[in-house]
Amino acid sequence: MTTPEIARAQRLRVLTAVVEDHPGVLSRVSGMIRRRGFNIHGLSVGPTGVPGRSRMTLTVDAGHAEVDQVEKQLDRLIEVLEIEDLTETPRINRELALVKLAVDEESRSRALTEIDRLGGRVLDEDREQLIVELSGEFERVEIALEALRSFRIVDLARSGPVAISKSRDRGPARAPGTQAGGGAW
Amino acid sequence: MTGADIVLEALEREGVRVIFGYPGGANLPIYKELPKHPRLRHILVRHEQGAAHMADGYARASGGPGVVFATSGPGALNTITGLATAFMDSVPLVAITGQVASTVVGRDAFQESDVVGCSMPVTKHNYLITDVHDIPRVIKEAFHIATTGRPGPVLIDICKDAQQADWPDPVWPQAIQLPGYRPAFTPDLSQLERAADALSRAERPVILAGHGVILSGGEEELIALAEKSATPTGTTLLGIGAFPVRHPLSLHMTGFMGTGWNLKAVQDADLLMCVGMRVDDRVTAKLADWAPRAETFIHVDIDRSEMGKNRRPHMEVVADAKTALGKMLPHIRPPEPERRRTWLTQIDRWREEHPLRYVHSNGHLQPQDVMIEMYRRCADEAIVVADVGQNQIWAALWWNFAKPGLFINSGGAGTMGFAFPAAIGAKVARPEKDVWCVAGEGGFVMTAQELSVAVKHKLDVKIVLLNNFSLGMVRQFQDDFYGGVRSEVDLHDMPDFVKLAEAYGLPGRLVTSADEIGPAMDFAQQTPGPVLIDFRIDEEANVYPIVPLGLGLNDFRELPDDYA
Repeated sequence: MTTPEIARAQRLRVLTAVVEDHPGVLSRVSGMIRRRGFNIHGLSVGPTGVPGRSRMTLTVDAGHAEVDQVEKQLDRLIEVLEIEDLTETPRINRELALVKLAVDEESRSRALTEIDRLGGRVLDEDREQLIVELSGEFERVEIALEALRSFRIVDLARSGPVAISKSRDRGPARAPGTQAGGGAW
Repeated sequence: MTGADIVLEALEREGVRVIFGYPGGANLPIYKELPKHPRLRHILVRHEQGAAHMADGYARASGGPGVVFATSGPGALNTITGLATAFMDSVPLVAITGQVASTVVGRDAFQESDVVGCSMPVTKHNYLITDVHDIPRVIKEAFHIATTGRPGPVLIDICKDAQQADWPDPVWPQAIQLPGYRPAFTPDLSQLERAADALSRAERPVILAGHGVILSGGEEELIALAEKSATPTGTTLLGIGAFPVRHPLSLHMTGFMGTGWNLKAVQDADLLMCVGMRVDDRVTAKLADWAPRAETFIHVDIDRSEMGKNRRPHMEVVADAKTALGKMLPHIRPPEPERRRTWLTQIDRWREEHPLRYVHSNGHLQPQDVMIEMYRRCADEAIVVADVGQNQIWAALWWNFAKPGLFINSGGAGTMGFAFPAAIGAKVARPEKDVWCVAGEGGFVMTAQELSVAVKHKLDVKIVLLNNFSLGMVRQFQDDFYGGVRSEVDLHDMPDFVKLAEAYGLPGRLVTSADEIGPAMDFAQQTPGPVLIDFRIDEEANVYPIVPLGLGLNDFRELPDDYA
């Protein structure tokens, strides 16, 4: 990595947040990130086991701010119930990519071999294209995509990161009404 | 009951007495019900920005939340500057804005704007209500959020159909359920003990106190802690009044227009404790050069996100200032008098070497003379509401505020036009107090239309216009830091302010020389109702000390000797 890339990697934070499933909550979170000079690299949102609660996983570049500001500023939002910076925590990361590959008779079999080697799955195929699922840690997905670039990638959809801490406590997935985290005013 | 009635009933239940507002299409249902609620005093403003600043002044003077009404679209948008002003200075406000009917939201209806979206960055929280059944809960939550923890403005946008909908038997919630909002922090006792121990051991300690000390009512704890630890103590602009300026340990105001002895002390301190403040760029000037000798930096603030936002503390205490200082106090060990004498003597020397000075003898009326005479008359009783610019710093430095809550100004946002409407709000909140508005002519005309409000409600706000026919602070910056190019700062085409006052129905006086200050003050103090005095001050008068933009506190400049 070049020096700027290393610097950026150090600023990159992986956070997980449980938020109220209200209209506008995504706007609050993204607005806070923008106006504090941070930048969203990846974001995924989905339901939790608790009705009315969603979980967000965010990869955020802290920009010129101190890196702990990302967690602290998001924690101020009243609809952010719990937030945890997982950057330095043992965790499991996953990302899903769907890749549309254009193939012809000549490249098809090479592509299928490469997809197999990368652990990808072919979800749909016809004579001219393959739709491939890649999933795994962010870095693995990156490497696999790089390998597929020797074929013609027509389109690409990535889910953004999903992460969970390996810690044994229930972490931010805990049920409503329990303490810890949240609301630093 | 209609939603509109429920809004007003909920406000009464929150103890609201005064609303600053303006009616329009999307809040007409509320205004229809308003006459049925005579306990709610409504003050009709002339512009919604004025309403927000009045509510802000009301909140700062009373300690309770200020309330604003505005209609949708332009009405609500006009409050945004006022909300931002309150947000930056942690002032509790609740703004209730009308919104178009929920059935047409998002269709670019007449006077529709996305007020929740627009106000999101300048409020502590905000709501859109589309269902009448949400009104009691949301209003209760809004007042709770606005007034607890680090206070701030909350906006509630209520769709017109929710205001009109009927709910015969509304349910008033008793408890508040906000699982993502837990403002009450119990400070970490071991951190407090460590901080108290460090303060007790320090050779050259300095305390700086901000608005948080005043908001938490912690001034007695601050004085006790400073005295017990024999620590020189200064304040930020918004912390003025948290520590008496004439106290022997006082360092007066810090920051890039702070006093020389304050800046010298901050730069030489081996321990710096900042309490209830953000450590923003106006306090630190060049951050990398700020407090370079502080081996221990202790930060006490109620907002955890302030910790390390600008300067990483060695010890952090997340708590309200009053609680933190009170709990630190028993752990302070008073220093040996000899041990502290060197430091206090050094500070006394700096105070003598770098006194506040101004031009005395060029024949022009000096703004500092006006401030000194006002202070001599009002001492520690009157409320002074300053605008933004040179007038603000002259008021801050030349009044020797001894108590909190008497000096109101827009510190963080620096909103010109704040002072006059905020002074109206302060007078409404504290009718027994003399209220003085100190403003430059540039800022004053930004909200001068509110003169009608002061006249209509016979509010004794005395307007001290420090008129130098220019945007003085900008002119000073251009002179000192932008090569002396005076660009677009001349205001000689201002109206005749005495006539302007008379047109609005209040008396005005013109003052052009120092010997007229006293008689004009007599006139202002003896005349009931609002009065405007147009002080034609020295057009070249400047603010000193000042740290040139981009430099550190060590580089502060004082009044050049040949001016004095």
